[in-house]
Amino acid sequence: MPEFLAEIIIEGKKNARDPEGETIMRDLMIKHGYDMVDSVRSGKILKVKLEAKDDKDAEDICFNMVNELRIYNPVAHVCTIKIVK
Amino acid sequence: MPMHVLVIQFSGSTCDRDLVNAMRNVMGWNVDFVWYQEAQNIIENYDAIFLPGGFAYGDYLRAGIIAAFTPVMKKVKEIAKEGIPVLGICNGFQILVESELLPGALIGNETLRFSCKWTNLRVETTRSSATNIAKKGDVWKIPIAHGEGRYYLDKVGLKQLNENDQVVWRYVNDEGETTKEANPNGSIENIAGICNLEGNIVGLMPHPERAAENIISPFNTDHGKSYFHSIENFFRRK
Amino acid sequence: MEQKIVQEKEINLTEKEKEVVFKVLKRDLTVPEAAMLEVMNSEHCSYKSSRPVLPKFPTEGPRVICGPGEDAGVVDIGDGLALVFKLESHNHPSALDPFNGAATGIGGIIRDILCMGARPIGLLDSFRFGNLADPHTKWLLKWITKGVGNYGNCVGIANAGGEIEFDPSFQINCLINVGCFGVMRKDELALSVATTPGDRLILLGGSTGRDGIGGASFASKNITEESESDRGAVQIGDPYMKKLIIEATLDAIRAGVVEGLKDLGAAGVTCSISETADAGGTGTEIDLGKIRIREDDMEAWEILVSESQERMFFVVKAENVSKIGEIFNKYELPWEDIGVVTDTGKCVVNYKGLPIVDLPAHLLTKPPAANRKAKHPKYLSKLDQKWLPKEPKNNEFNGICRTIMASDNIISREWVYRQYDTEVGLYSTIKSGQADAGVFRLSEFGSKKGIAVTFDGNSSHCYLDPYNGGAGLMMEACSNVAAVGAEPIAFTDCLNFGNPEHPDVFWTFEKVVEGIADAAKALNIPCVGGNVSFYNHDEVRNVAVKPSPVLFVSGLLDDVTKAVDIKFKSVGEYILLIGETKTEIGGSEYTKVIHKSDNGRVPKVDFAKAKGILTDVVSIINEGLVTACHDLSKGGLFVALTDMAIAGDLGYKVNLKRVPADTERTDIKLFSESHARFLITTTNENLEKIIAKFAEEEIPATLIGEVVSEQRIQIDNNNVETIIDLSLPEIKAVWKTRMEEEMEGTKEKN
Repeated sequence: MPEFLAEIIIEGKKNARDPEGETIMRDLMIKHGYDMVDSVRSGKILKVKLEAKDDKDAEDICFNMVNELRIYNPVAHVCTIKIVK
Repeated sequence: MPMHVLVIQFSGSTCDRDLVNAMRNVMGWNVDFVWYQEAQNIIENYDAIFLPGGFAYGDYLRAGIIAAFTPVMKKVKEIAKEGIPVLGICNGFQILVESELLPGALIGNETLRFSCKWTNLRVETTRSSATNIAKKGDVWKIPIAHGEGRYYLDKVGLKQLNENDQVVWRYVNDEGETTKEANPNGSIENIAGICNLEGNIVGLMPHPERAAENIISPFNTDHGKSYFHSIENFFRRK
Repeated sequence: MEQKIVQEKEINLTEKEKEVVFKVLKRDLTVPEAAMLEVMNSEHCSYKSSRPVLPKFPTEGPRVICGPGEDAGVVDIGDGLALVFKLESHNHPSALDPFNGAATGIGGIIRDILCMGARPIGLLDSFRFGNLADPHTKWLLKWITKGVGNYGNCVGIANAGGEIEFDPSFQINCLINVGCFGVMRKDELALSVATTPGDRLILLGGSTGRDGIGGASFASKNITEESESDRGAVQIGDPYMKKLIIEATLDAIRAGVVEGLKDLGAAGVTCSISETADAGGTGTEIDLGKIRIREDDMEAWEILVSESQERMFFVVKAENVSKIGEIFNKYELPWEDIGVVTDTGKCVVNYKGLPIVDLPAHLLTKPPAANRKAKHPKYLSKLDQKWLPKEPKNNEFNGICRTIMASDNIISREWVYRQYDTEVGLYSTIKSGQADAGVFRLSEFGSKKGIAVTFDGNSSHCYLDPYNGGAGLMMEACSNVAAVGAEPIAFTDCLNFGNPEHPDVFWTFEKVVEGIADAAKALNIPCVGGNVSFYNHDEVRNVAVKPSPVLFVSGLLDDVTKAVDIKFKSVGEYILLIGETKTEIGGSEYTKVIHKSDNGRVPKVDFAKAKGILTDVVSIINEGLVTACHDLSKGGLFVALTDMAIAGDLGYKVNLKRVPADTERTDIKLFSESHARFLITTTNENLEKIIAKFAEEEIPATLIGEVVSEQRIQIDNNNVETIIDLSLPEIKAVWKTRMEEEMEGTKEKN
């Protein structure tokens, strides 16, 4: 079966506070010459290589996986899955 | 005249007051405890400069990185060049490393968990400002409390570190051996603390200020005192 | 007032509550007013079900400075110092998002101590889950530990102790209670009160978003299948900002610019503006537009009830606003002047130039109590006080002992507390795992004294016999503190129960409170505050949690250096058992784990002797007659002895024939959980003195064995037959590593 590369990105929900993103922007970027930055959201990325029938199959597998294994917590996070190939 | 030292309080430091109290109460030193934005203006004329433990900037992005960019650290780099003892404890060590005043990186513990426990530190060299009254092979009981304390350096850097006698302490077991079990965080070669080439800049992950009084040690020891006495001796010798 | 008005039938209040509101107001409510009243009338904020019952607790005492009603309890500990402490629950949020739920629970309890003007110096935590082997339990335990640790460590407050209980009734509704304490100079006490009209109201800290909207009334709902998708109700904490808030607040208090102080927890701004006004007999008026919001499209009512974290509310004299602003600016903390104290007795909120809320403060802070019905639960009638399990054969005891030492409620909790910083602050002289209570020194405050703190709970006892379970819990918690040599001086509690609208649950609640109260009176220990969490009930599976009161008892040592821990110190030490062992194995670990039964008689407290025993134990420890002390609780005599052996890496030999009991049965002697019993080790010269001291009160102090040089545990029965002979290293390994293995799936050392 062909191999696919999926990028799974886990971030906080848009309306939840992100103290890490805020602090990085405020205390690191803005204070040191990068004041054109408007916002920073922090998150986690998992780069997953997997075997699947096709793009859609790869996406479905990842979708089931992140939900079943609680790779993200839907109460606090959003999760996006991109098949990068 | 007692030592006149500076403890820099970064935004988010938490072990600063402990360090100040230990040095005042146990060592009788004259300690200035200064907010980082004010410290940058008064940093000259101290006998030693301390970067305390804690969570500067919440350890956001990476422990020590945001603090490393503060203006006061620029001044610390200059002062360090003059040979003044500059000591980093835990978060302070992380800041020294991210400021490139010491080589290597401090990354997440191998266990992926924060770990608070008492460890045995074996003195590897007495060149450093923090170990010069000790003997090589001495074992100090000092506690750690960190989530990102795993010291890492590549092969080339490690070789240099060892050849230049820059490894100051290693984690050992009760028999004095550098075993895997004695290593609380997966640090390469059980390294717990290091110094620069000149020996005046010293960083370590464990907290000597928590080990300078018998009553708060579960072993009834006060090895932390050796750390502070060494710094005083190093300064006075110069 | 220009604001959409709410139809009476849409307002989520009971008929009685509506009656009270409209009797006073005589007009329709605006949307924000309705939201504020709903939130303040919720169980979580109003305590409507528990308020009629809680006055049973004794609250007076010569040491009490602040009792129930303030943000935290405050007691005088001498040397010009006061101890501030409190505990709280964060059950429902933690069940859904354990990391953030636990973290914000810690964030919340810290604020309660801070807003009395004290630096928080210690934390405690109490968890209740389903069986440890269950994957869901492991998931919760992992993330809750990380949440508590992450927040506590980052904010720099040491963990002083805690407890964990595993029982199937907590499978879905886990219970997460957290406690905090601080020490301060008595004369620096800050109160949450706005007394002077004209004073300004300052909001410090994080921006206001939709965190926890419905949080207060959300906590009052049972968990259903819909709850799992109740997204957006969990708050995110920021311990970094909290650390700065702690420093800024303490600096502001030291600078003398704080008139009143309140943290923003349940019901957010609504609670602050109403409680400070009500306490001060004044009013408050704020401009909602001044509050920094995180999302542009927030409605007025959302801003008012938001439970966004890391916010503090200050009452400041107008002339001091710029001074306090300088302090806040130093720490780069955002703040706003949002309003003023008035003399109207009302809470007024203006938005975009128009008033949208105009309510009498007391309408928000003093909602009517609910009158719950109580009915004796059916299951209690089915229990048999006289039930006893079949007596095991002699050759079965080794196996029984191994099984008990490896059971959920007995195994070492080191996997958890190693993830907490126990040393920061340089206070801790006796740390987690070393003794029955954590001990903190007060040298920083110029005092030789010490504080002892403990959390305790026993849901099994309370389930089988609510009254005696409650009383026994009080005795047990005080015994923990006495066992390190500290005199118990005050307590605060968290009462975790199911749905109070179920008469059997409410009956149980009343009985537990009575039991705790009666024991507290017998022991002369006042309640200085408390917390109630109801609706811990899984509606889908129709399971209520076992009644789970958790007590936070604080104790005082005159000389912190006199405190003792539990470990055996040297070969040849004598082991003394203080107290009498009774046939009371109902709800014991022995009957639950070995006989899989929930039956039998629950241990009763002898109120007449209770105080005397504690006083004598504290006395002999402080006179230096004792080398180690451990109070007996879960697992009875066998577990207590083995705890001491494991801690000291020294074996013991004990003869059950010498154990004073109302039975000859070996298993009862070993595993009964009778209260008011202690194990003490001592040397030859002090043995007689100790026995004589207890004899004065007619309390048995019996030499039952000694510490031996072999690494073995040996116990002889009444017939001098050795029925227990175990390797200490083996038992230690099992006890020490089980939780690590369950959680990590490996045999790696921590």
